[in-house]
Amino acid sequence: MKSAKWENIFKGWNNSESETVHTLKKIPVFRNLSSKDFGELENMMHRRDYKAGDFIFKNRAPGEGMYIIMRGSIKITIGTRSGNENILAELEKGEFFGELALFDDEPRSANAIAIEDCKLLGFFTQDLMILQERNPVLGHKIMFNLGGLLGERLRKTNHMLIKEQSK
Amino acid sequence: MIEPQVNYIQQIYRIIIALIVIWFINLIWPFISDVILMLVFAFLFTTLLLSSVDRFERKIGNRGLSVLSVVIILLTCVSTFIGSFISQISIQAQEFSERVDQTTMVNEFRSLGDKATSAMPSFMKSEESSSDYFANKLTEITQSVLGSLGSLVSTVGNFMFIAIMVFIFTIILLSEYHKFKKSLVNSIPNKYFEVGLKLIYNIEKSVSSYLKGQFLSAASVGGMSIAGLLLLNFFGANITLVIFIGIIAGLANLIPLVGPFVGMVPALLIAFMNNLGNDAATSHMFLGTIPSPFFSIDIIFMFLIVQQIEGNLITPALVGKSVGLHPMLVMIVLLIGGTLLGPLGMLFAVPASGVIKVIIKEIAFVRKNAHLL
Repeated sequence: MKSAKWENIFKGWNNSESETVHTLKKIPVFRNLSSKDFGELENMMHRRDYKAGDFIFKNRAPGEGMYIIMRGSIKITIGTRSGNENILAELEKGEFFGELALFDDEPRSANAIAIEDCKLLGFFTQDLMILQERNPVLGHKIMFNLGGLLGERLRKTNHMLIKEQSK
Repeated sequence: MIEPQVNYIQQIYRIIIALIVIWFINLIWPFISDVILMLVFAFLFTTLLLSSVDRFERKIGNRGLSVLSVVIILLTCVSTFIGSFISQISIQAQEFSERVDQTTMVNEFRSLGDKATSAMPSFMKSEESSSDYFANKLTEITQSVLGSLGSLVSTVGNFMFIAIMVFIFTIILLSEYHKFKKSLVNSIPNKYFEVGLKLIYNIEKSVSSYLKGQFLSAASVGGMSIAGLLLLNFFGANITLVIFIGIIAGLANLIPLVGPFVGMVPALLIAFMNNLGNDAATSHMFLGTIPSPFFSIDIIFMFLIVQQIEGNLITPALVGKSVGLHPMLVMIVLLIGGTLLGPLGMLFAVPASGVIKVIIKEIAFVRKNAHLL
């Protein structure tokens, strides 16, 4: 028979990872991190719930950081919802968006709207700065991963540009 | 046509609500002011100690133990300082009372009065300014100061209670700081989430950089005062407890405008106590021209130089634009703080205005960019 008392005493002995860590492990920004690092990141993450149709952020609003989809799906759009909405991307569980805001003070370049009720994890510039101060090794790993990701995207954009020019 | 009328009624409604809130706060203020003051103190201590606790936590992996370690280290330092300060000052006071009785003191004051009167230009001398009058006045002041020390005992009890409560609040805040902050962040509605988050970080940053800057400048004042006093001792000022005086001067420096002058007092008192009866010190001349009994003018001049270096070189570099208030505004908020809460109000006036400034800035930003939220 299970006893709540014994469960409390041995709380933490069960090593099954939380939903947050499970989601974070799929994100390329957080690859090659130890379980201790994930534990620290989990404590820093901001969990937010959005209803279907809610704006996560609006185009031209000041950006503070990136979001990771833990549950549900969102769309990245430009234009307004009344008529001329242009959907740039639809993102689902395990994907992330808004990471450029971690690096610059530029306003958001598109809207992010919840398609269905969703649960997001927020990771912001100030969190990254605090992490750099508190755990520089982990901070550097994340920065390095972010740099790699942006480089990869730039390479893809260059390929697309070359393809378009050669047509 | 109806809309402006509705807005007008809404405005009146808001003003009435605001007035009721102000009236209510005013009503309950006497009952909650002490608790708020304790919480503000606890928050400031938490801000100062947080990075050390976080660092310990990363090393030993336990929040409770790291809070305990930091608190024990801090308590050991503070109690060592206070304990050795009290024992040193009591030795000094005992030595002083053994060396000087009341008659000697009156005679010393009389001779000091004579010297001061003779140094005055003739037009300033009046019939009444006799040495007896001067000596009696000084003795009267000294005795009234010593007498008022008794009333301090009653306030010590109250102070101890506040100190213990602040200590408990600080421990709780240090242990639960990140959880409290997270709950606060979680309570922000989605619409204002990023703005709210930025506001919290900015307030934290403003308070933390102000405090760190202030403590660094206090440390520099302490260090420079110790160096200055040692230099004066080299010229025969005979000032003891130099390190304690330096630390007190540094701590007093935390209170803007008034603090630097408070810092001078222990040095002047010790110089007076140590040099009473010493003719060379009584008739000392500052730069060979200005009468400076017991090296008083030298001490004041030394502290003024320390203040100038701190105010014009160190603070701008360390504290810099952490609060970014105009000097005129600093004086106004100091006066308001002093009127409302006395010296404590003066201590908190500048960082509190820094926080209010950050809040106003963010509210203005939200109002301007409301369509983007």
